[in-house]
Amino acid sequence: MKNMTLKYIKISLAAVVLFTITSCSNDYLNLDPSTSIPEEQVFSSFESANSALIGAYDQLSGYTFDGLFVPILSDIMGEDVMINSVDNWNWFVAVYQLNVLPNYVFAESPWWLGYKVIADANKIIDNAPAIPDATEEQKNQLLGGAKALRAYVMLKLVEMYAPAYSRNPEALSIMLVNKTLTANDESLPRAPLSAVYEQIEKDLISAINLLEDNDDKGFLDKRGAQAVLARAYLNTEQWEKARNMAVDAYTGLDLVSGTELLSGFNYRNSETIFTIAYTPEDNNTYLSIPSFYYPVSGYSSMRANNNFVDLFSTSDIRGYSFVLEPQIDPNRYLIVKFSHNQLVGNAERISIRASEMYLIEAECEANLNNYAEAQDALYTIQKRANPIARKSTSTGQALIDEILLERRKELFGEGFRWNDIKRTQGRFTREGDHWVKFDIGPEDEDYYRLTFPIPQSELDANSNISESDQNTGY
Amino acid sequence: MKRLLSVLIVLVVFAGFASAQNITVSGTVTDSNGETLPGVNILIEGTSTGAITNMEGFYTLETGPEATLVFSFIGMTTVKEPVNGRTVIDVTLSDDSHELEDIMVVAYGTTTKEAYTGAAEVVDNEIIENRPVTSFEKALQGTTAGLLVSSSSGQPGTSATVRIRGIGSLSAGSSPLYVIDGVPMANALTDINPNDIESITVLKDAAAASLYGSRAANGVIIITTKNGRAGETRISFNAQVGVASRISDGYSLMNSSEFYQHSWQGLYNTALLDGKTTAEAKIYAHENVESIVGFNPFGVDDPLDNDGILKPGTKVVTDTNWRDEVYKTGIIQNYNLNVSGGNDATKVYFSLGYFNDNGTTLSSDFTRYTTKVNVSHKVNSFITAGMNNHLAYSVTNAPPGGTQGANPVRSAEIINAASPVYNNDGSYNWENTAVFDFNPVGLAELDLYEYKGKRAMTNAYINFDILPSLKFRTTGAIDYGSDKGVNYYNPYHGNGAGVNGRSSMSNTENLAWNISNILTWTRTKNESNIEVLAGQEAHGESYSVLSAGVTDFSIAGYPDLSWGAKPETPGSYTSEWNMISYLSQVKYNYGGRYYLSGSLRGDGSSRFGKNNKYGLFYSLGASWRLTEESWMPQVKWLNNLKLRGSYGTSGNNNLGNYASLGLYGSGANYGGFPGLSPVQQENRDLSWEKISSLDIAIESRFFNRLDANVDYYIKESDGLLFSKPLSAGTGFGSILTNLGAMKNTGFEATVSYEAIKRTNFQYTVGFNISTNKNTILSLTTDKIVSGTKLIEEGESIYQFYMIEWAGVNPDNGKPMWFVNAESDDDESSDIPDSAYDDPLETGRKVTSDYTDAERVRLGTSLPDYFGGLTNNFAYKNFDLNFYFYFSVGGRVYNNDYASNMHDGTQPGTNLSTDALNAWTPDNRYTDVPRYVTNSTDQGGQLSSRYLEEASFLRLKNISLGYNLPENLYSKLKLQGLRVFVSGENMLTFSKFKGFDPEGALNGTTSNSIPGVKVVTMGLKLDL
Repeated sequence: MKNMTLKYIKISLAAVVLFTITSCSNDYLNLDPSTSIPEEQVFSSFESANSALIGAYDQLSGYTFDGLFVPILSDIMGEDVMINSVDNWNWFVAVYQLNVLPNYVFAESPWWLGYKVIADANKIIDNAPAIPDATEEQKNQLLGGAKALRAYVMLKLVEMYAPAYSRNPEALSIMLVNKTLTANDESLPRAPLSAVYEQIEKDLISAINLLEDNDDKGFLDKRGAQAVLARAYLNTEQWEKARNMAVDAYTGLDLVSGTELLSGFNYRNSETIFTIAYTPEDNNTYLSIPSFYYPVSGYSSMRANNNFVDLFSTSDIRGYSFVLEPQIDPNRYLIVKFSHNQLVGNAERISIRASEMYLIEAECEANLNNYAEAQDALYTIQKRANPIARKSTSTGQALIDEILLERRKELFGEGFRWNDIKRTQGRFTREGDHWVKFDIGPEDEDYYRLTFPIPQSELDANSNISESDQNTGY
Repeated sequence: MKRLLSVLIVLVVFAGFASAQNITVSGTVTDSNGETLPGVNILIEGTSTGAITNMEGFYTLETGPEATLVFSFIGMTTVKEPVNGRTVIDVTLSDDSHELEDIMVVAYGTTTKEAYTGAAEVVDNEIIENRPVTSFEKALQGTTAGLLVSSSSGQPGTSATVRIRGIGSLSAGSSPLYVIDGVPMANALTDINPNDIESITVLKDAAAASLYGSRAANGVIIITTKNGRAGETRISFNAQVGVASRISDGYSLMNSSEFYQHSWQGLYNTALLDGKTTAEAKIYAHENVESIVGFNPFGVDDPLDNDGILKPGTKVVTDTNWRDEVYKTGIIQNYNLNVSGGNDATKVYFSLGYFNDNGTTLSSDFTRYTTKVNVSHKVNSFITAGMNNHLAYSVTNAPPGGTQGANPVRSAEIINAASPVYNNDGSYNWENTAVFDFNPVGLAELDLYEYKGKRAMTNAYINFDILPSLKFRTTGAIDYGSDKGVNYYNPYHGNGAGVNGRSSMSNTENLAWNISNILTWTRTKNESNIEVLAGQEAHGESYSVLSAGVTDFSIAGYPDLSWGAKPETPGSYTSEWNMISYLSQVKYNYGGRYYLSGSLRGDGSSRFGKNNKYGLFYSLGASWRLTEESWMPQVKWLNNLKLRGSYGTSGNNNLGNYASLGLYGSGANYGGFPGLSPVQQENRDLSWEKISSLDIAIESRFFNRLDANVDYYIKESDGLLFSKPLSAGTGFGSILTNLGAMKNTGFEATVSYEAIKRTNFQYTVGFNISTNKNTILSLTTDKIVSGTKLIEEGESIYQFYMIEWAGVNPDNGKPMWFVNAESDDDESSDIPDSAYDDPLETGRKVTSDYTDAERVRLGTSLPDYFGGLTNNFAYKNFDLNFYFYFSVGGRVYNNDYASNMHDGTQPGTNLSTDALNAWTPDNRYTDVPRYVTNSTDQGGQLSSRYLEEASFLRLKNISLGYNLPENLYSKLKLQGLRVFVSGENMLTFSKFKGFDPEGALNGTTSNSIPGVKVVTMGLKLDL
């Protein structure tokens, strides 16, 4: 009897232990991560949705997009500057050689990061109107900001991955992603250039209406949207519209003085319209513009072409951007235009400034045969750098050529040269101390090299873009 | 039948007890070696009377003529002898451990080899002990069929990659589940001292592993640590010292003269291609060669003659062998002390271990301290309680790998020999044209990559023997690991130069807990035996990281964060997962001939998507021992024949903790504002990978000497997790989906032959071989190209896909690739304009324009078959063991070699001496293209040029041991003394060009620290 009781005690003890731990709440199997939040939560308040817009700008500033790759590639693919072949860890060498293949990081990364920004912006555009606690003003701010950003990135992508609009407006360009695409949606084909430019224009006009001017030039505001639209119109040779937008964009801004042009281009100034706002905590150290351009404390592997340097008159203050320092490089000109701000790579990257808008104005007026206005705008830029400069008296193509040359002098290193050659269908000529030389015109087969290939990974993953849709030449 | 018989005997004994007259029985008890055994306990069964043997093993006692005597002695099998009227009964007791060998530790319990219905193999401690490896799994290579073990780095303290029966997953982990003393492990294997391991069981098929449910897909490795034994306390001490060196010399690199002349040639070629005249080109080459190489390694300013050839008699001032600078001889030390003992109630094992491997590469080393305490205690007649505890502390120095500038292995290969290590004044020279400012010797002194790990694994259990047939076991376990990492870059050179020094520290904690409650009920009736197991298990893991960093140091050499002036953004996160499970198993055996088993397990996991929270897994197994059948003729040559089969399902839950959620991540800060950015798309349907496996096997033993087992398996994985590549338009590179299905099939055969079985001389030879064919069955996307691979239906997961190298055009030295226009890489089969007939007369079209060639399928990186050949000799007190490991088939894309055969694209980077065979007008038929500084020929692009066969045969381990005879060691007051020497990885036969054909399973090299060969000497003292 006693034995039996003991047995029962033992069995019930075991049963209790067995089942005490088995009851578990629903939370036990539904865990949330500690450093990310569900999408629904992001668009439940203005504050978090606004953080998503900031996050999209963070993507934009990534070194494989607007932080470094996009601007530096644009100049390396030109004639005015060059990358060293040695002591450079092979960065951008293939770009300099105009020898980019579809699987190269220089073709892959800007594409992927560019579309990441577009996707981030699309989410905001899709969700902003329904944020419960946002005022109309706040919704406008989000919508306008996201649209301006989307257009800004699309413009960069068409410039890289599609031939010039002036050559063929219906050429295949990029995927026109204007709403959120999920993994289950069918992937998009390459849209014609005209459709993408139409979207860019639509977005920017909408952004101009929605946005106000903002003191923080780290974000695209109304003025920023106008400036981007001026660029888009310039690419599509809508001279009048481009001029109007350019003038709107610079009106009210003071150009910096000539000497300020030598202050290192590492922080926003009075003529800045949009800047990639790196902070010391967020700087990209070695993968930054000054790391490559400035002669010390970084890769320091950018050099200026001797023929280009020779174009500057001795009284042109911008000529001081070039130095010869045999200890660093016995043969080639070093460039001091972009400097570090105390820490290596700590530099904002000024992306749009009023000077460019003056030059757009000049170019448009010249193309509209308004030579006097064109000469005035051009002179504004020339005399600032060179007090003894004389106002141009040229007209026609000669004036346009002068303006394009001034763009080179004023904007070198800021990411314009390559697109300028392309959009004007100009001749690409590398001479002097370049270590890879070219002399090709739009009629030459090799001109295809001025357009990046669609990345291999996109061809592999996209069911609507195949090898046969690849850009000519690749 | 036997049972029935013994019951009858007992009955007879009882019946006769009262009536029979007592007789005197005497005899001698010996062990299996013929030595007499003193102190053996002899009892008359059913009574408490008996006797004990004297010093000579002799006994005498009075008993009834029909009684049964029970002979027992600690550590020996108990023997029952019916008296049957005899007056002299001599008995031989055999070692108990023999019986133990047949007991296998398997999922949630133990079984015997005969009764097991699954595919499992036991590796005992002899294989693992005293090997100069940090982690036990490295010692398993080649020992077990179906178990693929591959080490991709010689960094001390790293674990090897282990795969059981092929690769079951595309992108979720394919590592087996490791279970130590009944509890799933959550942290590194390297924290375990191999000398603490008693045995390892490898569970291969569903019947063996399915009881682990959603974690069993890749098989299970069960580790059982040593336990105390009742009886005399044994103390043993092991000491071992080894000398390690690089496993092979690899391909040779150019010396400074060769490189200087070759660079001259490259410049000359460039100039000619630029349209310069021969004379101009020579001037150009002379002017630029020093800046391309970085140094003039000669004593004179103008060392080369007009044709770029070194002038005779020129003194070579600098000729650095960077490999000699970076690699060194490593010393491995391993000391273990363990104590084991106890009595019938309490058994204890404890150990202390020290392991140190100071590495064969600068600034790479590993030191580990371990302690272990295992205790079990019988509380009363029905409760046994115990604990297994393991503590470890380790310090690892591991320089960065891959293509990072600070990777010393890469630096050794690519810095050219003209670059000196030191300047004339004895300071480090930081200039070179390959990895500027990253002198690996200097960085080894100035930088720090140190990781300190602390680990505590503890589990406590209580067994209740509720009824003789009903047992309950509850176990609670904690596995806690805490690691601290420091990466310090000095302020002056290398990674830290731009920010005036950087120090980053991280603290990680990984806590896993596990509770299990298992009830087992057994019942034997007549010839049948049934065992039922039911239980419940809960498991959780939490991983958290805290990291911080600073830059701008005023003094070098002090990595603590307090020294830095500028803090960097700190970070922290926690990642958790939980699982709740119910499990059950039924085993049935009839007459020792038929065995059946079935298991069922349900897992609910926080990792799975909302729509798929719970998974159910089952298995069925059966075996049939034909030789136990009464109708089977009893033949001498056949001792055992067993057929076995199983089918079942399991899952793979290695999908990351939050993979199913749509998430915005923190930290996307910009312009000083906090930002959020999408990091992951939602997939509510995300679920475990489902694996079903079928196993059919024959186990046999012939002539009492030859064991032969053959297994055939088919393992199908469905719903494979894969990051499906997406169009950039989605904003994500990929999404994790249950995308595909894959099949692994293979044969495994194990043969062991006891060739010589004499008292003084034994020789056993063993052989095992495994084949595995990996085939992807379905994908939702036609083709996925990723890096060097193409994933597609009908082919292996690691199928190489690249442009096919056609050699060098003898007319101009340009590289050529086969056009392969018919390849499906490009839809059209048009021959490109650049194509021409292969001048090497293969009859195929080639092109020298890389982009015009199409990619083709070029085999897999996985071996066709692999295995081991073991030889064990024992002669008197000597033993000699050696075994070979072989791996046949499989290819490797040799990235490392590619960077030393760059054809001039990286002009300052060192070259293999193979590059001396570059094309020149005088050397037209070669496989090495022309050498052109800053070449645009694309010869170094991804192609089969660098794809090599990776088959190899390796003498994995050879060891010679000597056990001192008893008369010698007892004079030293010892219980035993053994001395041994052993060699690990002593010989390798392979055509592979790098250091080691064994490497990453995906078949690419990445400048990892090469494997090592080690010669060790050691001794083992039993006190």
